[in-house]
Amino acid sequence: MKKLLLLGLISCFLFTPLFAQGSKETVDEAKEVVIYASVDEENSAKLFKAFEEETGIVVKSVHLSSGPALARIQAEKERAQADVWFGAPSENHITAKSDGLTIPYKSPELDALGLNFKDPEGYWRCIYMNPLCFGINTKALEKAGATMPTSWEDLTKPEYKDLIQAPTPQASGTAKAEVYGLCEIMGEDGAMSYMARLNRNIQTYTSSGTGPSKGVNVGDCAIGIQFTPAFFQFISQGLPVEVVFPSEGIPAEAPAVSILKGAKNVKAAQIFIDWMTGVKGQNALSELSTYFYPVLATAKLAEGMPAFDSLKIIPYDKAYYSENSERIITRWINEVLTSK
Amino acid sequence: MPLFNGVTMNVRELKNNFKSTLLLRKDPVLFGTIILIIISLFLFILFPLAKVCIIAFQKDGKFSFLNFQEAFGFWYYRQAFVNSIVVGLLTAFIGTFIGFLFAYSIIRAKIPGKKFFNIIATIPIVSPPFIGALAIIMLFGRNGFVSSFLLKMSNANIYGFKGLLLAQVITFFPVSYITLRGVLESISPTLEDAAMDLGGNRFTIFMRVTLPLAIPGIASSILVLFVESLADFGNPMILAGSEFPILSVQAFLEITGMYNLGKGSALAFVLLIPSVSAYFIQKYWVSKKQYITITGKPTASSNKIVSNRARNILFAICILIAALVLLIYGSIIYGAFAMSWGNDATLTLKHFKYVFEVGFDSLIDTLIIAGISTPISGILGMLIAFLIVRKKFIGRKFIGVVSMLSFAVPGTVIGIGYILAFNNSPFYLTGTLLILLINFIFRYIPVGIQGGVAVLGQIDPSIEEAAEDLGADSNTTFRRITLPLMVPAFFSGLIYAFVRSMTAISAAIFLVSANWNLMTVQIMSQVESGRIGAASAFSVILVIIILISMLIINTILKLKYHTKSSLLSN
Repeated sequence: MKKLLLLGLISCFLFTPLFAQGSKETVDEAKEVVIYASVDEENSAKLFKAFEEETGIVVKSVHLSSGPALARIQAEKERAQADVWFGAPSENHITAKSDGLTIPYKSPELDALGLNFKDPEGYWRCIYMNPLCFGINTKALEKAGATMPTSWEDLTKPEYKDLIQAPTPQASGTAKAEVYGLCEIMGEDGAMSYMARLNRNIQTYTSSGTGPSKGVNVGDCAIGIQFTPAFFQFISQGLPVEVVFPSEGIPAEAPAVSILKGAKNVKAAQIFIDWMTGVKGQNALSELSTYFYPVLATAKLAEGMPAFDSLKIIPYDKAYYSENSERIITRWINEVLTSK
Repeated sequence: MPLFNGVTMNVRELKNNFKSTLLLRKDPVLFGTIILIIISLFLFILFPLAKVCIIAFQKDGKFSFLNFQEAFGFWYYRQAFVNSIVVGLLTAFIGTFIGFLFAYSIIRAKIPGKKFFNIIATIPIVSPPFIGALAIIMLFGRNGFVSSFLLKMSNANIYGFKGLLLAQVITFFPVSYITLRGVLESISPTLEDAAMDLGGNRFTIFMRVTLPLAIPGIASSILVLFVESLADFGNPMILAGSEFPILSVQAFLEITGMYNLGKGSALAFVLLIPSVSAYFIQKYWVSKKQYITITGKPTASSNKIVSNRARNILFAICILIAALVLLIYGSIIYGAFAMSWGNDATLTLKHFKYVFEVGFDSLIDTLIIAGISTPISGILGMLIAFLIVRKKFIGRKFIGVVSMLSFAVPGTVIGIGYILAFNNSPFYLTGTLLILLINFIFRYIPVGIQGGVAVLGQIDPSIEEAAEDLGADSNTTFRRITLPLMVPAFFSGLIYAFVRSMTAISAAIFLVSANWNLMTVQIMSQVESGRIGAASAFSVILVIIILISMLIINTILKLKYHTKSSLLSN
């Protein structure tokens, strides 16, 4: 009989909690906020700490890259597990809006942002921006006997064979921005034939958008095609790294933030978003050495970063490319990957 | 009449099964256990998988094969399928070969340094995913220590097939070693001695006695390695690259990069086919070749079955492999203490300081989760192994197949399936500790089951029958007779499940929450943002924790059961 009792106990342990959990009510007080952060851990930890000190609201966060984050938010839409989605390119937030995963929020801070940096209905707003660049390990480049590249066209020269790492557009938002930007510069056909030539010099395509910086850091490759922050940080650490903006121009990312539908701590989420997109949060980007470009024109810029206006940024139509993304990436696999 | 004969056979078998099932009523504990296990398997393995299947076989709300057609109408995904199978098979065979070599050298040839080799084989198992692959880049890549500094190669390229296979073999051969170690230990050496006394030469004895006796273990090992390699995505994610597509990675990218859950599930679903067939092949093959060697009679070895020359050669090979493992994992320790790996060799503690600032909570969470899920998973695994091998009842095969399934399914699919299944009425589990626990328990029971089945296959049922003749019920027999014999396999399973819970990533990434986070998820985010020092420091701490826990388990074992687990023993 003792065994039977034990068995019953085990089954209670296994099965009752399944039914016991009711859904929690929305909280009016702003005490804590649960955030899915697609900004890298070190930088978001710094920003969250500054926010906590400023407001006394406790931030609980999970770090997920934009892909897993969106997949997860979609799967959890019946019952949201977080209040805020922080980071990930604005295209993803457009998807989240059209899938009905987020709710709008308007405030003076939203009004202060430029039109490029927000959803007119207030579903999402950008928090910072980053231009694409070539991050160059000068020591590795020298060792390979290659010269400094200055343009996209330069990268196809034979001297860069197996020296370049870039992310794959199958997975990475960075690489998608790169492909779309090149389509704008060269036309879609031109971009495909360019990338097919470039493919001969690519050492490997990484799954993660920040993968190439790892290669550049340790000299596994000489050139990484990626957004700027990691490289600016390497430079500040005294590594032999330089940032090159190719002469044809570059696309830029502008990660955004949204409040999730079904959020329990809506009030705290709103306070967080106001802080992040307001003067204090925008200045914190530079003060805390995130090396992100602020989206608020009046905010400070960290040392060593050229003014954003001085860069030749190639804008692209996010709606068009979101719709055509699958077609373009299939083309990329068929025409670029097969090129030898 | 052969057809008719076949039918009567099946009916008779069914009747027997039914009768045995009815007999179970007299044994309410056993009956209840079986029912409970079947319900749990339904709920925590089949239900989430069904949720994913529904999505894979659906397009715009209707039943359809379109996802599959789209996925495999594309040469790139067919290529990924072929690549996965090739790498999986090669990993399974090479890994098992090396694992057997290690096990044979240590158990049978009794080469010196047993403890050292045990530790070597333990390291890859207890290391978090990604980190071995990272070390391989640091050693054999363009600026790698071996390729560039030692061999003076100027354009080494480790990405693609070569690098991936190296990483997979190094990561998985220890799994094979541990399985085969247990098997070789349980083969009584008196059999080999007897063959020698009868005049057989050493090679003949190896081929005709030792090897055939080890076949069930070797088959399990090949199966496990094949399935593990197919489902693994840590190594291919870093080393394969887009030019050598691997199916598990492509399924993950389809879900997380293209936001196409349907097509991603379809790709993952196809991955199930080779995994499940591997299981059945093993089952059919191994069941025909099982030998009983633990008979309850005394055993002692004369220790002469390996010649001195053979012993020296085996020793040299083991040293070489050990050196490679040491090099790979030693470089991670270096990476954790170096200011900047590859650039600045100054020693520093700053990475550790960073880890304790950012990652202390997740460290505690990881320990709690692994600590709770491991013993439950281990006991459940042994119990299921016992039921599958020794008991007859309807649903026996079901339990065997389903419990293996969770192991064969890529973690990404399990993770997504768990969210789909347990974020809705009536099961609200997402964001809780429980969902992580359940996931780990059911994901890692197959390891215990495999070990248990292999050991049970070699224990003569007459020992148990004797106990039952003497009046013990099935519960007492299991506890007093069978379980003690299974203890080494049980603790291998236990430690392995613990290590896996500590290092799991692919499913866990969908299940961690703000309150319950895991160290591996943080290691991955460090690797992704290129902070190799921090990732290495995280990994070193994780490995130290695992090693300490294993020592504790071993000490308890020694004091209480006067036996040792097969990992990290003397």
